[in-house]
Amino acid sequence: MALLMIGTIFIVGLWGIMNKANMVKKVMALSIANSGIILLFIHYGSLSGETAPIEGTRDVMVDPLPQALMLTAIVVGICVVALALVLVYRLYLQFGTLDMRLIEKKAWKLND
Amino acid sequence: MTEDIVIWILVSPLFGAAAALFGKVFKSAERVFCILTLVSFAGPIAALLVLLEPLLDGNVFFYSLGGWPEPFGISLVMDPFAWVSSALISLITPLIALFALGNRKYGAHFFFFLMLLTAGMYGVALTGDLFTMFVGFEIIAIAAYVLIAYEGTPTGLVASFKYLMLSTTGILFFLLGIFLIYRDLGVLSIAKISALLESAGGVRNTHTMHLALASLCVGIGVRTAFIPFHTWLPEAHAYAPHPVSALLSGVLIKVSFFAMVRILMQFGGSYMSELLLWIGGFTAISAVISALAQSDAKRLLAYHSISQMGYILAVFGAGSSFALTASFFHALNHALFKSLLFLTVGTAVGLRGVRNLYKISALGRRIPLFGLAFFVGALSISGIPPFNGFASKAYISSGMGGSPAYVLLWITSFLTIASFVKLSRIYFPGPKEPFPAVQPDTALVRDYLPGKLEHLVVIVLALMCLGTGVFGVPVARFLHQLLYTEALEYSLPLFGRDKLLSVVPAVLLGAFAFRLVITRAGKGFSARLKALAPDLHTVLLFFFIGLIAFAAVAY
Repeated sequence: MALLMIGTIFIVGLWGIMNKANMVKKVMALSIANSGIILLFIHYGSLSGETAPIEGTRDVMVDPLPQALMLTAIVVGICVVALALVLVYRLYLQFGTLDMRLIEKKAWKLND
Repeated sequence: MTEDIVIWILVSPLFGAAAALFGKVFKSAERVFCILTLVSFAGPIAALLVLLEPLLDGNVFFYSLGGWPEPFGISLVMDPFAWVSSALISLITPLIALFALGNRKYGAHFFFFLMLLTAGMYGVALTGDLFTMFVGFEIIAIAAYVLIAYEGTPTGLVASFKYLMLSTTGILFFLLGIFLIYRDLGVLSIAKISALLESAGGVRNTHTMHLALASLCVGIGVRTAFIPFHTWLPEAHAYAPHPVSALLSGVLIKVSFFAMVRILMQFGGSYMSELLLWIGGFTAISAVISALAQSDAKRLLAYHSISQMGYILAVFGAGSSFALTASFFHALNHALFKSLLFLTVGTAVGLRGVRNLYKISALGRRIPLFGLAFFVGALSISGIPPFNGFASKAYISSGMGGSPAYVLLWITSFLTIASFVKLSRIYFPGPKEPFPAVQPDTALVRDYLPGKLEHLVVIVLALMCLGTGVFGVPVARFLHQLLYTEALEYSLPLFGRDKLLSVVPAVLLGAFAFRLVITRAGKGFSARLKALAPDLHTVLLFFFIGLIAFAAVAY
């Protein structure tokens, strides 16, 4: 069940990246797809034990490595999303629209 | 103690980046700090030179960051592969940074991101585990997005945004591959995964590992830019500032290619070579046809980058150890001549203020040394002796070992000549035109006349193109010795009569192809082909089709 939900989140993200014309929504979709992968790691990490990996607990601890990795991946993802939003803002200032298709048409005319 | 040197390769560029930030704070001493930034390249260069001799004896160095042992900590590996790719970075990047230093447009900001990009590339080259490779790729990517959009031109921003969307989607699949590997094997170190896969009886005998390998390849493939993941490259490389285009085309795609080679060789992905061989062949020919149709000078060069990557990939797919040497040799040569071409053509484009190559002409008189260097680069990429393109293409033709895909590469070689005949008009010595001959493009930032530093860089690159061509055989031997710690038995009579004569039909066909392109029918066809530039939706569609195809073949 959990896997199905994670898969849905990932696919929804990919669908959004591809089919949304609004650039802000594209960036949001990117973030959603990224969350899908992060959840996948965290979910599998949580199956390997019972409690949080804190020193001194008696129970079986979960594998701490996926959590550590995903902390890094979240940070990287936030950087990318922040940069993407900056680009969206600059593009909006240049072209006056958020529609990627329109922007690409206008940019194509500037090419030659 | 020798292991400790390895870390300096990674840390030194980061110090350089910090120095560049100081240059932003203390505006009056910006120039001094920029020079200090360049000095930080001495760290990697010195370290690589020290490590060369032990590597040639067959030693491999490991360095654990912070003293944490392998399963918990991050480890750096210095093996011949890592040496070759970091040597490529340390050869080209300082020269390009020097070029940028000569131009007043690029301040401390620029050098900060340049050094960040360099540190990321060293990270990818040296890493011993997959997750650090992911982080390295993302550092590269973030720095590259900023650098592509650095001038703030509308086209640059669009190109940067497209690159961001596509490569982040690609890297998600790279992470998925890491996940599959970690779930089934429980390790991330490349050497450990390799050992575990070997004991499991190869990638093909496991349930999900070949899917993991395919998604890793797709993730890196977006950065390496072969078909069908190439669609971001022409725009990103064409609309970036010129030194950045040179860096991206010359070094960045090579570094990701080396990372892919490393993963495929270590994980026993040899069953994919047939696929890569054909992908490489088709990449080479279709990109060169697109290049022939372009009228934008830098876009034409960008398509040639894809096409030459096709060569490199195809010969890697041929599989023998000789073929791998040939592929690395061509990667080195392509890095040299493509950065030379981007710098010279970029300067021409910047001076005239237009990108259309039919509107730029006869710059050879105004900046003769740049003209000379441009022709060295053009002859190199066309494979004319005695320049380096000829040497490595000769090695490639032997390395392909009579595979049918070589026909594609051969057709590519004369189409390359044709498109450079087309491009070379921008530097042909012709009648002297009044300087602002055409209305400058609004989407372009005008440049100054190149100064002494720029001339120096261009001349050094041109001499290196000549050097690796004339001494092609020793260079290839050195590469082979380094990669396999054994001498290359097979020697190629590079300047024998047969080899030299084999250039003649290619040149004739190239001239003929050029004649065809400038006929009316050829021009109409070019215009139609040029209009095929994919938008973001199509780009992503290409990506998903490629992904499914890769997964299917891997299965």
